[in-house]
Amino acid sequence: MDETSARLLGMALAIGLGAIGPGAGIGIVFSGAVQAMGRNPEAEGLIRTYMFLGFALSEALFIFALVFGILIGFGII
Amino acid sequence: MSRLLQNRTVQILLGIIVVGLLLYFLGVKMTQGELRAFISAAPEPLFCMSGQPAGTTCAIPFTNSLLMTLVVDVILIAIGLSLARMQLIPRGFQNIVEMAVEGFYNFAQGIDRNNVKKFFPVPATIFFFFLIANLVALIPGIGSIGLCETTEGGHAKVASIATMLQSAPVAQADAGGSSIFTGLPGFCGAGHRLIPFLRAPAADLNVTFAFALVAVFMVELFGIQALGANYFTRFFNFKEGGLGVFVGLIELVSEVSRIVSFAFRIFGNIFGGEVILAVMAFLFPYILPLPFYGFEVFVAMIQAFIFAVLTLVFMSNATVDPHGGHPEHGSAELEPELHGAH
Repeated sequence: MDETSARLLGMALAIGLGAIGPGAGIGIVFSGAVQAMGRNPEAEGLIRTYMFLGFALSEALFIFALVFGILIGFGII
Repeated sequence: MSRLLQNRTVQILLGIIVVGLLLYFLGVKMTQGELRAFISAAPEPLFCMSGQPAGTTCAIPFTNSLLMTLVVDVILIAIGLSLARMQLIPRGFQNIVEMAVEGFYNFAQGIDRNNVKKFFPVPATIFFFFLIANLVALIPGIGSIGLCETTEGGHAKVASIATMLQSAPVAQADAGGSSIFTGLPGFCGAGHRLIPFLRAPAADLNVTFAFALVAVFMVELFGIQALGANYFTRFFNFKEGGLGVFVGLIELVSEVSRIVSFAFRIFGNIFGGEVILAVMAFLFPYILPLPFYGFEVFVAMIQAFIFAVLTLVFMSNATVDPHGGHPEHGSAELEPELHGAH
């Protein structure tokens, strides 16, 4: 396996594997938020704020994977 | 159907799609042939402040993201000066600024009601700087207008993603795009690469790392101010035996890793967003980037918010005695009162 194909494989694996955890995490965040909104509709605004906070925190992990995947794939690191 | 066509929004969207398709089939493609849109992982120096000739390694480069940071600073200062004479009954622009500041202040009050007056300037500075910086960075032309520079071996480290896209099989198979724009100053020919004048500050790891250092330093400072020498017992805890020492060690490591996670979170989001926009513009110009552009606007706001809120949460955490000294704000960290916000 030469370097280019190894890099492409590494990029694909980094992004694909890195999407598993945050995907599950974002699902949990939104399911919890929707349940909380259903139980307590008056607190919807506050729940939405924290929902996006949790969403962005989980999503940041995927962004790490994306950035490092891109850096590997395009030969920057 | 005819009523739908009379809708102004539908008309605009249809117009964009028709014009985009027309341009696409005419062969005007952003990443075809001689045309290149560049994204590089590191900021490029515009000129050297330490006086060395270009080409050699520069000690103090004046980078494009530094220029953009100064622009954002000027915008923020101009907003501040324009509100030097506040009116009791806010009108126009003052309304917007008051809404933003008050909204964020109310949210911060929900996180830590006791110390919010003391803490507020640091997270608010971070929030408004990154808010303006990330939103301004999305204006078309920010990362795409610049000077052309010949690519040399010395620049191999700063590999640009567009050149990689260029050599991708798709680009070669679909060669022969028109070269209408090659005569314009914004586009560089083969063997050249674009050095944009402006670059999103958050897409430069130096900027985000500096902000992360300041934020964590202020967290430690407020912690020491509130608890004195007692603050360090959370890291060096010898009273509770081996477990206490171990927990203290973990606290110390997590304190340091906060800097890295702060810096990489916002850098990754903004830089990754730029890369996604470039790749989508390469795959199908004019239309495919639109939803991602909207998502980037959302990310720009939410990441500025996250940076500020996490700073605030860490600050309120640091001022709480680790061994339960202040019961009045011991557990009130992420439990704001429901009628406080909104």
